[in-house]
Amino acid sequence: MPETFYTIVDVFTRTLSGFLDAAVVTLQLTAVGIVLGCLLGLFFALLKLSKSKPLQLIANIYITIIRGTPLIVQIVFLYYGIAEFVTLSNFQAGAIALGVHSGAYIAEIFRGAIQGIDKGQSEASSSLGMTKTQSMRRIIFPQALKRSIPPLGNQFIITLKDSSLVYVIGVAELFSLANREAAQSFKPFETYVVVGLYYLVLVMIFTYLLHLYEKKLDVDKD
Amino acid sequence: MKKGSILGMALSAGLLVAACGTDDSSGSSGSGSTGDAGSEFDLLEDGKFTWASSGLYKPFNYEEGGELKGFDVEIGYAIAEKLGLEPNPVTTPWETIVQGLVDARFDAIIGSMAITNERAEQVNFSDPYYYSGGMIFVAEGNDDITSVEDLEGKKIGVVATSTYDGVAKEYTDDVQYYNSDVIALNDLPIEGRLDAVITADVVGYEAMAAGLEIKDVGAPLWIERPAIAVNKDNEEFLEAINEALNEIIEDGTYDKISTELFDRNLLDVDIEGIEILE
Repeated sequence: MPETFYTIVDVFTRTLSGFLDAAVVTLQLTAVGIVLGCLLGLFFALLKLSKSKPLQLIANIYITIIRGTPLIVQIVFLYYGIAEFVTLSNFQAGAIALGVHSGAYIAEIFRGAIQGIDKGQSEASSSLGMTKTQSMRRIIFPQALKRSIPPLGNQFIITLKDSSLVYVIGVAELFSLANREAAQSFKPFETYVVVGLYYLVLVMIFTYLLHLYEKKLDVDKD
Repeated sequence: MKKGSILGMALSAGLLVAACGTDDSSGSSGSGSTGDAGSEFDLLEDGKFTWASSGLYKPFNYEEGGELKGFDVEIGYAIAEKLGLEPNPVTTPWETIVQGLVDARFDAIIGSMAITNERAEQVNFSDPYYYSGGMIFVAEGNDDITSVEDLEGKKIGVVATSTYDGVAKEYTDDVQYYNSDVIALNDLPIEGRLDAVITADVVGYEAMAAGLEIKDVGAPLWIERPAIAVNKDNEEFLEAINEALNEIIEDGTYDKISTELFDRNLLDVDIEGIEILE
């Protein structure tokens, strides 16, 4: 066992600079994925909550297709499938796939949070003379956002880990580097332990930041 | 093939302003001779020669300390220098590498891709830049497989869409697919995973030298001719690559690269009497 520990440390130090570069790529993918996912999520949540049937239908189609197909298929589709019509770089295809994918889940998170706000709140705001939009913006949405922080955090962590799938189109992120490192060093055990640690540490940092934010918003209290 | 439609531009401009291009595996030693030679060819980026390999094929292309290394990569650098282009090696999974070239994600494949008739329907090949033998490898203690006939019905590991794939299927229905020959070889000593791997002789010997407990079986099954793959509509570039390849063979650059890595010239092979893979 001590010997294994030393080889892990050895692989870790030898690959440090490469993995740090790759970790930056992983974080960039995740950041674009999350921002895009939140924008799409909010947009489609509002469509789904609208009174218009066609708009609801559009949101339902998006959520059904994206939740019903694997992320890896979506990634390859965006990079190779549509290359003849829209040529995206592998980073763009990967980041957009992550955003579109998480957007479908985030839409449901937002919808649930908005619907979860007591009806009396919107009734009270309209009795105060607010329009529907005003009541949504001033009263409902701030409360809903606060409530959606915990499940959103969960979704962010999933997006971070899902970014590993982008290796399939050759983006130089953590997992693709790990595959190459394992192949050249003949040390799969140590290499995959090391790359696992990178993800673990990133997720722990994420979790801590979310915890701070939750405390600031005082999510426990309504 | 139309590229960069309005939608694509809007998407990339609008959503990904902050995201910089990160698909390269930044090559080192930029042998800085950049002329305007690039403008005569249809390249991904002006003045830059971007070529792809899997990066999982030691000793031909692999990554070490954040740098792509190996025979293929060195050949790529030497050719880039002759062409007066800035070298830019990138990696992409082997299964989709031809697709990537056809979609013009890179200018060429320099990744130990052997010439076959099937591949030649999709891409153009340069002259071969080395010869290698298709070889059977088994675990060190394996005495069941001593010749190619013994492969009948065995579990054989190969890289998907490699030249070894079709051959393995001739002998067995039990083919296990990998994205790297080296990872397939790694599975040989593990109980119950694989009976044999078919791959290039040099790759297996490299793994043996690294201490992997495997051995080779018999003589090479055939000789194959790895070459540089270029898109069909890029004929001038193919001609230039062939010229550059010829130059590095004649001026001794090739010999130097080959002997430094393998102690021999890989083109110096007696191919009389052995089947050549097409």
